[in-house]
Amino acid sequence: MIEVTGSLKRQLAVWLLVTVTGLGALLMVEAWRSTHRAAERAFDSQLEAAAMTIAEAVQWEEGEPVVEVPAAALQILATRHQERVFYSVLDTSGEPVSANMPFSIAPGWREQVTNEPWAVTATLDDTSWRFYGREYDSAGWISQEPVQIWVGHTREGRKALADELFERSVSHFVAMVLLAGTLMVMTMRVALAPMRRLRHLLRRREADDMRPLDARVPEEMRELANTLDHLFDRQRQSRESLLRFTADASHQLKTPLAGLQSTSELALQSSDPAQWHAALATVHDGAERTSRLAGQLLSLVRLRHIGGEGIATPLDMNGVLRETLLDWAGSEAAREHDLGLAELPSGPVWVRAEKWAIRELLGNLIDNALRYTPPGSEITLGLERHDDETVLFVEDNGPGVADETRDRLLQPFERGGRQGTDGSGLGLAIVDSIAQRCGARLTLESLKPHGLVVKLHLPLCENEGTP
Amino acid sequence: MKVPSLPPVSRFTWGPLVLVLMLVLGEPARALASPLVVEAALDRDVVAPLLEAFQANHPDIDLDFRDRSTLEVDDLVVQGDPAPDVVISSAMPWQMARVNEGYALPLDSPQSRNWPAWAKWRDEVFGFTFEPIVMAYRLDLTKHMMPPRTHADLHTLLTTQHDLLQQKVTTYSPLTSGIGYTLFQQDARYSLRFWDLVAGMGRVDAQLEDNTRAMLEGISEGRYWLGYNLLGSYAMVWAQDHPEVIVQLPQDYSLVMMRMAFVHRAAPNPDAAKVFVNFLLSREGQRVLAGQTPLFSVLPGIIGPYTAQRLRDQVGERIYPIPLNASLLAFVDPQRRSAFLARWRREFRRELRLDD
Repeated sequence: MIEVTGSLKRQLAVWLLVTVTGLGALLMVEAWRSTHRAAERAFDSQLEAAAMTIAEAVQWEEGEPVVEVPAAALQILATRHQERVFYSVLDTSGEPVSANMPFSIAPGWREQVTNEPWAVTATLDDTSWRFYGREYDSAGWISQEPVQIWVGHTREGRKALADELFERSVSHFVAMVLLAGTLMVMTMRVALAPMRRLRHLLRRREADDMRPLDARVPEEMRELANTLDHLFDRQRQSRESLLRFTADASHQLKTPLAGLQSTSELALQSSDPAQWHAALATVHDGAERTSRLAGQLLSLVRLRHIGGEGIATPLDMNGVLRETLLDWAGSEAAREHDLGLAELPSGPVWVRAEKWAIRELLGNLIDNALRYTPPGSEITLGLERHDDETVLFVEDNGPGVADETRDRLLQPFERGGRQGTDGSGLGLAIVDSIAQRCGARLTLESLKPHGLVVKLHLPLCENEGTP
Repeated sequence: MKVPSLPPVSRFTWGPLVLVLMLVLGEPARALASPLVVEAALDRDVVAPLLEAFQANHPDIDLDFRDRSTLEVDDLVVQGDPAPDVVISSAMPWQMARVNEGYALPLDSPQSRNWPAWAKWRDEVFGFTFEPIVMAYRLDLTKHMMPPRTHADLHTLLTTQHDLLQQKVTTYSPLTSGIGYTLFQQDARYSLRFWDLVAGMGRVDAQLEDNTRAMLEGISEGRYWLGYNLLGSYAMVWAQDHPEVIVQLPQDYSLVMMRMAFVHRAAPNPDAAKVFVNFLLSREGQRVLAGQTPLFSVLPGIIGPYTAQRLRDQVGERIYPIPLNASLLAFVDPQRRSAFLARWRREFRRELRLDD
């Protein structure tokens, strides 16, 4: 089932938004502070220049400082923002020599500037002011005393400049974000283009086209393309094996049916009841074999292709083994063989499996052993318990199977090079399917001097619940 | 346009609050009761057409125009109780100082935004006239000498004809007249030879008057032959009725003085005051100024006999308006003023001292 977990674009957009918002907030705070600092600096230098210009005009007349305030100083002070301007020239005692300042400079401020110039922001009369003071050493003929020059103006220009600068940096930032967003969208388009190409390619593909992909993909998508190729490959294989199986099965069924047809034709041409009886007996045998073949095919198909979840319960292998052996020991097919049980481990051996499946598996192994060994051979069933698994084995001292054909034995219709016997060649294929179903591992080994042992490795389990 | 309605809560809370504020401040009651007070250093006769036009446009506003001297106007800005609504004065440095002290209310209107930047400061005070500073002489003068056309001419006359001109020259007293002081300050800024002119005036024992009207009367009566630094606005009107008076725009440079108007911060009728100042700055007000008064319109594009543009056409580019900016504040600096006046006195008596 395909579950859509949000769009990539939206995820990226949200991510960008969050980053940009966080980063933007920081940047804005920093921009706000730096623009205000810049504005303060720019305008403070105007104050400084104005104070210098006034200082130039200070002269001494008969022991008193005299200053003719230069018009230029006031122009500088007012700036192009036309600030309200105040100046005050103070003598040593703090008395104004010349001033248009309605406020008196606090003694604390006067002390502050004795050593170095000082600028301060203050709110007076509901208006925010910036003041700048500096002390100026000026020597007259009679007295040599420093004078203090204080200048101040309103802060409208600073605010306007800071706002302007801030606005500019905000608009730069917004433009950058928009640009980044656009770039992101474009990048997404470019990045997703191979994906789109692949999608079109897959959509155009014929249903039974299992050839590997023929597409140009970027490095990042190579794995996806490879996986798709593997998937196609596996599908092709499974499809081919299904076709082969169907062909094989049809072929297997065709041979006995053809035999039935020819026997019954011969019998129909004859008028001897004895021949009819013999033909009927042959037909009966053939029908029985064909029916068994069809049954096995059905169960193999069921196991392989239908599957279905069975209910696995803890199972005592000792019990199952004994029951199955008892069933077979008395049967017609086992009459000419020595069917026996090896020594079983003491106590129950628990595995998690379906009982019918284990019995079917055992039945097939025993049936195979009976069929492919000469009469009188020994067939032994056994069970070994290891640390975390149990090994169920069925061994015989028949002719065994050549090493090179042993691996093919698990394929359907494989009879280990002995096509003459009346087996269907499906037994081990069924066993293998059951083993896979139970999560078990199947191994085939040759015995010395001759014989074959089939081992089923089953994981052990705790017996919970029923003892 | 749809006005978004306030939520009921804020309506409920703001209403009484505003009402209480209104009661406490008593503004609305006074706004209705008291007339719009305009304290102006501007002759009523000269400005009458403008006032009539305003009354015609705003019959609902009861205008009380009080014509005073610049000094009185300046005192009223600080001490007026109640404060005047609108303050108009030609004493530019003093007006500027009051605005700098924060006595003005900013005016934000289409008219104020449209006003040329060189004729306003902080959008609080506006120079709304463009009055050239002129020389005026009596026709008799021409019988004895070439009338002066430039400052240099005047200086030459004062030097060469000082016997004839003895007590026949008049000008502003910088000590008692704010305008006179401002004009001399501005003259001194342009040329150091101005002090020679002052010395020349001292030599002919120039008579110092407080206002242009007194100078014009003196010329008409024949007491004076020559006047220096008269307000062109008054002199031109005077000359129309008094053919013996000739008005001369100095051809080297002509100072231009602007009447400055602002709305007082504590105006009892701030809204009406703003309407009045806006009218002064409006095209309509300026048209009246240009057509029916000799105050000269500042706005470009206004047609009439008295416009800054026509003045420029007459005198060329030698027009020097007293700049309306913070440098004016220097003129009212007490030390600078006393230093200037001291020098003025000294120069005025230079020749006398030499004679002694």
